[in-house]
Amino acid sequence: MAATLTKEMFLSIARSSGLDIEDPHMGELYAFVQKVLPTLRMIDQLDLTDVEPLATFIPSKE
Amino acid sequence: MGSHDLCFRSAAELSRLIQKKEISPVEVVEGHLKRTEALEPMLNSFITTLPDQAMAAARQAEREIQVGKYRGPLHGIPLGLKDLYYVKGIRNTSGTKIFDQFIPSYDSTMAMRLKEAGGILMGKLNLHPLAYGPTGENPDYGPMHNPWNLERITGGSSGGSGSAVVSGQCTLAMGTDTGGSVRIPSALCGIVGLKPTYGLLSRYGITVLSWSQDHPGPMARTVEDCALVLNAAAGHDPNDPASAKLTVPDYTKALRGDIKGVRVGILKEFFEAPLDPEVEELVREAKGVLRDLGATLVEISWPMFQYSAAIAGIIQMAEATAYHRDLIKTRGSELMPMVRLRLESGFFLSGVDYVQAQRARTLFYRQSLGLFDKVDLLCGPSVPVPACKIGTTEVEIGKNRVGVIAALTQYTRPFNLNGFPAISVPCGFTKAGLPVGLQLAGKPFDEEGVLRAAHAYEQATEWHKRRPAL
Repeated sequence: MAATLTKEMFLSIARSSGLDIEDPHMGELYAFVQKVLPTLRMIDQLDLTDVEPLATFIPSKE
Repeated sequence: MGSHDLCFRSAAELSRLIQKKEISPVEVVEGHLKRTEALEPMLNSFITTLPDQAMAAARQAEREIQVGKYRGPLHGIPLGLKDLYYVKGIRNTSGTKIFDQFIPSYDSTMAMRLKEAGGILMGKLNLHPLAYGPTGENPDYGPMHNPWNLERITGGSSGGSGSAVVSGQCTLAMGTDTGGSVRIPSALCGIVGLKPTYGLLSRYGITVLSWSQDHPGPMARTVEDCALVLNAAAGHDPNDPASAKLTVPDYTKALRGDIKGVRVGILKEFFEAPLDPEVEELVREAKGVLRDLGATLVEISWPMFQYSAAIAGIIQMAEATAYHRDLIKTRGSELMPMVRLRLESGFFLSGVDYVQAQRARTLFYRQSLGLFDKVDLLCGPSVPVPACKIGTTEVEIGKNRVGVIAALTQYTRPFNLNGFPAISVPCGFTKAGLPVGLQLAGKPFDEEGVLRAAHAYEQATEWHKRRPAL
């Protein structure tokens, strides 16, 4: 998650994700993403030193 | 017995009558079908009703029971499945017209197990599109209406399940819960909804929203009925990689114990978050009932609660977007606007964001587990507000204005993130006559402890006996 998402970055990610960047809907999506992403960044406050992700691949025993 | 009365009997009560051949599954199903015919124009609980199939299944159940082939407490009991549980040969829309004609070629494990237990499928229940929203609004198939006030939301995403059960159209229903989608509509519709431990009920054959947070769960008018569904539905499923391998107890036996000496943690942070005063007062009274039943109330702090929405949000967004990736790109414009925006926004998270969220989840899980060193159960409101009007995007809670999605999922989402079992039971009504839910949560796979406490509370109160005036 970028600290700030410029319109250029937004359009670049949208294009590479396969979204139609000519669609007028992109303005609405940009505003939505600008609103939502900062609320998720609060996890950056957590000290995750030496913490592994829960979703670690575990081979089946069967 | 009148058909209206039949429609409000619990599965446990109906099953005793059915087993003794005092009533027939045919009578029971006919009664429920009549009710659906009368109420469906108002409530819009179903996407697909199955009257012919239900009657055929009821007649078969009647024949089986007459010749002594009684399958158990769900035999002949009307039930509904949220329209994202695959049932072979019956369309499965997942709440969007995009899948209006999609007909699965196999049964979800839950559909299969409930069918084998003798449950009668009444239809496929309405939901928030793709289960991606907590209000129970649906522009494709129409909004679900709360039976206590038709202008209000049912909550979601399993809104049709909530309204069908409380209005007596189904005795039981199955919902799914990724951020609260069983417990929210249960609370707002005034019924019982259980999100079991992640891995207890199979996800196989259910449309995915977030692999690591999706939980199937029963919705019913009593705690005992939820236990009956668990008895029939739980158990290892090799088709679900997350399915737990454990011996399934008889969950109804857990209901017989009392809760004397049970340590109930009152989560400090739940009461510091935005909370409607009427809901707070009803939950405060519910805590008093638990104390009167012999539970010990312990104030407890859950510092990472404040991070749960962000951690769960990142994981849900990334997983939902990954699952629906092709759909978003090819048919995104046909989706409900808010669902489309939420799905598309997942593209703006990185792999690093997802892994960081999973690392944060590890911390959250550890801290969640640590709470149970001090208590046996956690307790708080299920939802901080009563049902709002359909179309509401922000709710006012005291001095705060909160987005409706954040508000409705505020207390439920943490238990999707840690996977712990949590139940919502009715704990009162606001002055406007809207139901309020009490949430009780336990440590992993302690469904018995959760059900026991919920049942003890339920039996000590009368809230579950109230019916909407329809």
